[in-house]
Amino acid sequence: MKTSRPSNCSAISRRDALKTAGVAVAAAVAAPRWASAQTPKRGGTLRVSNGGDPPDFDVHQSATYLTQFVGAPCYSTLLRADPRDYNRLVADLAEKWDISPDGKTVTFQLHGGVVFHDGTPLTAEDVIYSLDRIRKPPRGIVSPRKGLLGNIASIEAAGPLTVVMRLTEPQPDFLFMVSNPYNVIVPKKVCEPLDAQGQGMKRHIVGTGPFRLTQAIDGQIYELSRFDSYFGEKAYLDKIQFFPIKGEVERGAALQGKRIDASFFFPNEAVLSTLRKVPGITELRRPTPTFVNLIPNVQRKPFDDIRVREALSLAVDREAFIKTVGPLAGAFYHSIGLMPPGSPYSLSAEQIKQFGGYDTLPGLGGNVAANRQRAISLLEQAGVPKDFKIVIITRGDLPAFRDSAINVAAQLKTIGLDATVDVRDTGSFYTMETKGDFQLVAHSVAMGGSVPDQIFGEGYTSYGGRNYGNWKDDALDNLFRDQSREANPQKRTELIKKFQLEFLKTYYQINLAWVGYGAAHLNTVKGWVALPDIYANMQMDKVWLDA
Amino acid sequence: MNATGLSKAGDSGAVLDSRRDSRLRALGRISRRHPLGAFGGFVLLVIVVLAVGAPYLAPFDPVDGNSAALYSPPNSIYWLGTDGFGRDILSRLIYGARISLLVGLGASLLGVGVGASIGIIAGYRGGWTDIIAQRVMDAMLAFPMLLLALAMAAVLGPALHNVIIALAMPIVPRAARIARSSVLVLKATAFIEAARATGCSSARIMLRHVLPNTMAPLLIIATAYLGLAIVQEAALDYLGAGIQEPQASWGLMMSGSATTLALVAPWIVIFPGLAIFLMVLASNLLGDAIRDLLDPKLQRDYP
Amino acid sequence: MFSFILQRLVIGIVTLFGVAVMVFIIMRVIPGDAAVMLSGAGAGVVSEEELAQVRSKMGLDRPVVIQFADWAGNIAALDLGTSLRTGNPVIKDIARRFPYTAQIVVMATLIAVCLGIPAGVLSARYAGTWIDRVLQALSIGGLAAPSFWVGLILILGLVALFQWSAPLLWEPFWVSPAKSLAQLFWPALAVGLRQLALIARMTRSIMLEVLGEDYIRTARAKGLSEWDVVVRHGLSNGLLPVVTLIGFEFSALFGGLIITEAVFSVPGLGQYVVASILNRDYPAAQGIVLVLAGIVVLGNLTVDLIYGWLDPRTRLRGAQA
Repeated sequence: MKTSRPSNCSAISRRDALKTAGVAVAAAVAAPRWASAQTPKRGGTLRVSNGGDPPDFDVHQSATYLTQFVGAPCYSTLLRADPRDYNRLVADLAEKWDISPDGKTVTFQLHGGVVFHDGTPLTAEDVIYSLDRIRKPPRGIVSPRKGLLGNIASIEAAGPLTVVMRLTEPQPDFLFMVSNPYNVIVPKKVCEPLDAQGQGMKRHIVGTGPFRLTQAIDGQIYELSRFDSYFGEKAYLDKIQFFPIKGEVERGAALQGKRIDASFFFPNEAVLSTLRKVPGITELRRPTPTFVNLIPNVQRKPFDDIRVREALSLAVDREAFIKTVGPLAGAFYHSIGLMPPGSPYSLSAEQIKQFGGYDTLPGLGGNVAANRQRAISLLEQAGVPKDFKIVIITRGDLPAFRDSAINVAAQLKTIGLDATVDVRDTGSFYTMETKGDFQLVAHSVAMGGSVPDQIFGEGYTSYGGRNYGNWKDDALDNLFRDQSREANPQKRTELIKKFQLEFLKTYYQINLAWVGYGAAHLNTVKGWVALPDIYANMQMDKVWLDA
Repeated sequence: MNATGLSKAGDSGAVLDSRRDSRLRALGRISRRHPLGAFGGFVLLVIVVLAVGAPYLAPFDPVDGNSAALYSPPNSIYWLGTDGFGRDILSRLIYGARISLLVGLGASLLGVGVGASIGIIAGYRGGWTDIIAQRVMDAMLAFPMLLLALAMAAVLGPALHNVIIALAMPIVPRAARIARSSVLVLKATAFIEAARATGCSSARIMLRHVLPNTMAPLLIIATAYLGLAIVQEAALDYLGAGIQEPQASWGLMMSGSATTLALVAPWIVIFPGLAIFLMVLASNLLGDAIRDLLDPKLQRDYP
Repeated sequence: MFSFILQRLVIGIVTLFGVAVMVFIIMRVIPGDAAVMLSGAGAGVVSEEELAQVRSKMGLDRPVVIQFADWAGNIAALDLGTSLRTGNPVIKDIARRFPYTAQIVVMATLIAVCLGIPAGVLSARYAGTWIDRVLQALSIGGLAAPSFWVGLILILGLVALFQWSAPLLWEPFWVSPAKSLAQLFWPALAVGLRQLALIARMTRSIMLEVLGEDYIRTARAKGLSEWDVVVRHGLSNGLLPVVTLIGFEFSALFGGLIITEAVFSVPGLGQYVVASILNRDYPAAQGIVLVLAGIVVLGNLTVDLIYGWLDPRTRLRGAQA
């Protein structure tokens, strides 16, 4: 029974496996060879449970695992994470790729003989359409990860199976941006007319992945069947069935009763530890690039005043937050700085302590009472009246959102703010967030990757998809670009650390803790490897049932 | 005018005392004859006291959790245990009583007040006013109570006064029906004709003469729907359309992380439900007793 | 008789119309701009231009009365619009979920009647004894217990004792009746508890009245068995009030059903209405609320008609009301 206990400072050894610009690398065809002690058996249906229905099937437009888990086995990306080493990328649709000496041209050679589920062959046009759809979404289409591909100047076909991307600047992290598990390749012929209608791929799944969608009944079942014309090695499973079960306890009970084979989403520690005691079940929790941020709406008074934002940060006792919200939502982890726990780019304890409230991270010995006193006086200075009403909006279906907000509201009360939580359904939550219709939001940001360009680019730039607070800061954006294109690893590390220090000073977003999600499956399920990322390695093509 | 039949200026104190005594004695007599109702009344009284005195009576802050005592079972410090955030359940129950009382009483009184007004006016006037009012009330009656409350709460937003309005809405048509039929009964007698003959205006008639005669069934309806309003309020909170965290409300206490922890910490879900059960039970018992007192001939079993 | 039916039908139709108006009024005001929802503002920003486009496409910018007339016309043609959440026609979603809800309603009523009437009879027969007291206490309890709490506790117990979890696939009745009855039994029990208590109480008081009547004493004197006396002579009087009660409580039953379906995750109409309202899926919400209220109106109408058929006196009285 493989288990991994949550610890306060998880040490994941992270090898920096970035390809640096200036070095032409012709990567060999990296055919994934998963080490397997037994011979995989073919056949069977994998029954999985998620915490709800996918709101729709359009992966590009989505930001929720509910959609991504169902879509991942059906689609392919150009590259994907190596299950043996999260920091390495291996081929998916792209057989070969290389980067020019100046680092500004990346050429992808696609596999031959790839067909979509509807039988049409994949060409470079489909890749171009898909990536353009992400970085320059057509009218009516939403693209949260638009900014991640912002460095691309142009994408062209240099042959039916060759895609050439020209970058504005060299970017060491570029391949990781492209291989974000959400950046799937969709068929242009199917998607373009649907986009014109404004519907997109919300009701259709047509991909090149090892499985295809054969049944979808809302509230009951989503079924995928093996796609026998898959360009890679055929999947072992016959089918995958997804059953939405909202309650974690019920999901655990279903697993124990062997009515499902796996569930890859268990935030709650109590449920996970119940499963730990059951023979025949493998459970684990691992950290993911998911972090809980408190995001004030900088466009609204009094959050435009940096003293108020700092007061918010000072009010939160992060150790208490982790102790409380950890068991409820998996928020057990913390990092020193803005990068994931254990990152080589993390700051030092001394560096982080200078920022209000961050000295309450576990082990740093901060004085909570003194912090809160200081917060109260900052609020006074900023002219915020006592019992000022604050509403924190949050999502109701995920504990990392809901329970974080509840705990933060309670902590904000200690500095004289009358804080309540407005729990919303996913749809109206995102509506309010994107319209800027809120004062404070507690958001659990789940990234599809953990390199600096991903974390900073999506999370901490003015134009990033996660700037819900609507702040604008050219200096920070420029600093981001500087580190993004820096070829020299030492210089880049300095810039990355500098970026974090500069951002933390602004309190535009207040980092609280990092989240790790649990997963559990019957021991008859083989071949699934948990990466420190919930979205990676979910295509299920190497999973088999030892029934 | 006075209970003892003797009244001298200097004796007014004594007169008041004896009046109070006789009232207390009357209460005692009624209680003995209707023990269940007395029990219900007593429980409600306790809840009212707890609700009013919450800041002084609750042992802990209902919002501030103790991260060292997460979902701990009932013990000597936390008599009913703590929830997923380390918050004392007993304290949250006490503060939650405020919400339940406020919403229950508010919705019940508002609903009966508005409903009775509509019913009396419709019954009194008759004609098109009556027909239209009846059809509108019929339409409102067609909505299951929770459905109407849910839709209204979603529309108005999760503030306390909105929840009260939302819960009053299903009560309005039911109270209107009762009030209207009372008026019709009165109309069948010559009572109203007589009042009009003496020159009373319509409004005066309705207020001074009709209303007091319908008080009895209205009071019964008010107590019956007090219990229902509380349950619906809890349901609204449970679904997420009512009171919001981190405030304490009995329905809210049973939702969210409470359900996820239910197997390892069942006290989190059990006690709030028990509180609702007790309060509804109390108001039902009290309502039954009131009904018995006012009109034992009334069919007992539905409002 | 005919005029009675006609009168009731007309009232029913007018009420349905009133319900439609009310639904439309309530749902039009729902915040969470429908245009933003429709344009898919999941995690990105949508421009005002796009919103205006969506508004005109959905007809959200026309006068309210025209929108209502449109919607009402569609309803008559059984077109309830398309759900924003599932993408299916609302009528299709409702049709798929209807059997489960209908089954729970029927089962809950059956449980309430089949357990409630005997309980009431027993209570009356042994009035004053401990049997009576226990049954009375149980029914008072059943009335007071909030149905979703009962549901939660039931689930807790089932999970803890039997590793129970909600069915992954709910079997429709015609596919596998036994399984379907088993799956829906617990939700039906939670829903029917209140009815059960009410029927028991009412049956008890009716039986008490009836059992004291002269003709019962006559029957006993004639030597008829207890069964004959109690059931055949006494119970036949109780049928009418039970039907009335069921009709009266029909709408309350649906209220309990909505929350119980949420607790047990039954894919029925109750769960659908909660999800639609909370998700601001206003086409679906309008449709399902109308359908649910409509069912209640039809149910009341049916009960009225049955009542009228059973009791000739109401026909005459009804004509005067």
